[in-house]
Amino acid sequence: MASVSIDNPIDETTERRSKPARLAPNYWPFVMPALLVVSAVIVFPWLFTLWMSVNSWTLGQPRTFIGFANYLRLAQDMRFWESLWHTTTYTVLSVVLPLFFGTLAALVFDAKFPLRGFLRGIFVMPMMATPVAVALVWTMMFHPQLGVLNYLLSLVGIGPQEWIYNQTAVIPSLVLVETWQWTPLVMLIVLGGLAAVPREPYESAEIDGATAWQKFRYLTVPMIAPFLMIAVIIRSIDAIKSFDIIYAMTQGGPGTASETINIYLYNTAFAYYDIGYGSAMAVVFFLIIIALSFVLLMVRARANWSDMEER
Amino acid sequence: MATVNIQNIQKNYGAVKVIHGIDIDIADGEFVALVGPSGCGKSTLLRMIAGLEEVTGGAIRIGPREVSHLPARDRDIAMVFQNYALYPHMTVADNMGFALKLKKADPAEIRTKVQRAAGILGLEKLLDRYPRQLSGGQRQRVAMGRAIVRDPQVFLFDEPLSNLDAKLRVQMRGEIKTMHQRIGTTTIYVTHDQVEAMTMADKIVVLHDGHIEQIGAPLELYDRPSNLFVAGFIGSPAMNFIDGRIEEGAFRTKKGLILPLPQGVAAAGGRDLVYGVRPEHIRAATHGIEGRATLVEGTGSEIYAKLDARGEEIACLFRERLDVRFGDTVSIDIDPARIHLFDKQTGLRL
Repeated sequence: MASVSIDNPIDETTERRSKPARLAPNYWPFVMPALLVVSAVIVFPWLFTLWMSVNSWTLGQPRTFIGFANYLRLAQDMRFWESLWHTTTYTVLSVVLPLFFGTLAALVFDAKFPLRGFLRGIFVMPMMATPVAVALVWTMMFHPQLGVLNYLLSLVGIGPQEWIYNQTAVIPSLVLVETWQWTPLVMLIVLGGLAAVPREPYESAEIDGATAWQKFRYLTVPMIAPFLMIAVIIRSIDAIKSFDIIYAMTQGGPGTASETINIYLYNTAFAYYDIGYGSAMAVVFFLIIIALSFVLLMVRARANWSDMEER
Repeated sequence: MATVNIQNIQKNYGAVKVIHGIDIDIADGEFVALVGPSGCGKSTLLRMIAGLEEVTGGAIRIGPREVSHLPARDRDIAMVFQNYALYPHMTVADNMGFALKLKKADPAEIRTKVQRAAGILGLEKLLDRYPRQLSGGQRQRVAMGRAIVRDPQVFLFDEPLSNLDAKLRVQMRGEIKTMHQRIGTTTIYVTHDQVEAMTMADKIVVLHDGHIEQIGAPLELYDRPSNLFVAGFIGSPAMNFIDGRIEEGAFRTKKGLILPLPQGVAAAGGRDLVYGVRPEHIRAATHGIEGRATLVEGTGSEIYAKLDARGEEIACLFRERLDVRFGDTVSIDIDPARIHLFDKQTGLRL
């Protein structure tokens, strides 16, 4: 027969509790590399930007502390407000259009038809191209005299357009490129969502008397809503900080017609070398992105419905 | 409420026949259970009645209307699914009122009907919750509530209790029965659990390989099963089947065991038979057939034992407390009035 005895259980408990405290100093060698890297590449640049934004500093000239003067100047800068409007228009259109066409494409590719896999492969190809290469190809296509787009329009009796060379048409034209490139991403996300949607409620709805449209409206759309929200978040953040395509195609022109905050910020800091003012702009832009992400994440949480999402 | 008539219904998947011409008449307000083992075609039959599966041949009538080729939404039926099939993004109230919303019913009327159904099922406090916030039993009640709100002509249940634990299953069984007694809507209930069918249904249809084996009231199926399949399927624990022949007024098994017979069955002599006796119709006796216990399971209220009597395995269910242990010799007595005889070749009752 074996016997069991407990010797001084209080001591054992004390020892167990004190272990983490004694081990604590040993954690630092493991944590330090990560802390150093994060501090160097994330924390320091941000602190430095904040510091620069409260200084008047044009490259090559002496720096002076001016407090919130750069921010006050920003509030009165019409060009900044104009660039904010351009950014908003560009972002909203670059989210809504790929979302609409991506969802439509996902519904098409969710059905079974011959060569579906092959066609889906072709459909996602724009997403894989480099933005600058895309910009160059589309710049050629947009050319009012030599571009293929005007040639195609002429075939259906529509006169030549100025595309990115026209102040009114430039943002819609850039959005067209953005939509062409990023609709496949939305399609892939929504297609994943459609695959995850349970099929049983559709039979319930059939018995409850739903038509095909009502099933789409009341079941499919709300059930893929969490996935649509993921697409909206990814696309919004991507579109609001879009730089490469715009810079490569128009550099913010004609005039300042396609100048988004990013382009204006870049021009201010690296063309006019007004580092302090550019930094203030970067800080405000950062706060806008944070606020937008916060709102989108809240909306996404409201769109959740599945057990999986709740965890 | 309505009658349901199923005439010569057939279902093929390509060359595979799964339902071979079935006829069932269901009276107005009747509770009918379709039972059978997995793959017997009971769920397919129910889905054909619901309009979720195409009918290959035959006709289905709900009331005076033939509905065989009508879409599900035009059949005026409600269905409760095994996995509940609730709308995951809608609250309990929205789930229950969805069918009325589709019909563009007045919101006040929807609210009233949802409240009434919630009252019947005890869901009043859960109306604002989402399905993911409910337990299995609550979800099943919501699925039933959704059916009640529709006030359909026929309720269809497709193994609604299979996903619940044993205790909840018993509770929900009672609730479904109570609901039927209260509302009185014609109900077709599919289950593979014969206990559910026995306890709930007015009439049971036993299906096997796409054929009807027997239709009847629960006790009729229990007392007078028409063939070996029904005899083995209805009743728990299952009936004992022992092969043998009638010789000199007694049933002699192939291994030489003599079993009692009721009077007047000697005419069945001279051919291979199957002797059927339910475990609960065997009593412990001071003198009788002797067997060695090879399995003993006590639940407190009863003892289930398997005996080896001259090489024949006989399952017994004793209601009285017996001190039986593995290897003990037990004497048993079979009531000849409760035995069943079947033709070995055809499987039919004599």
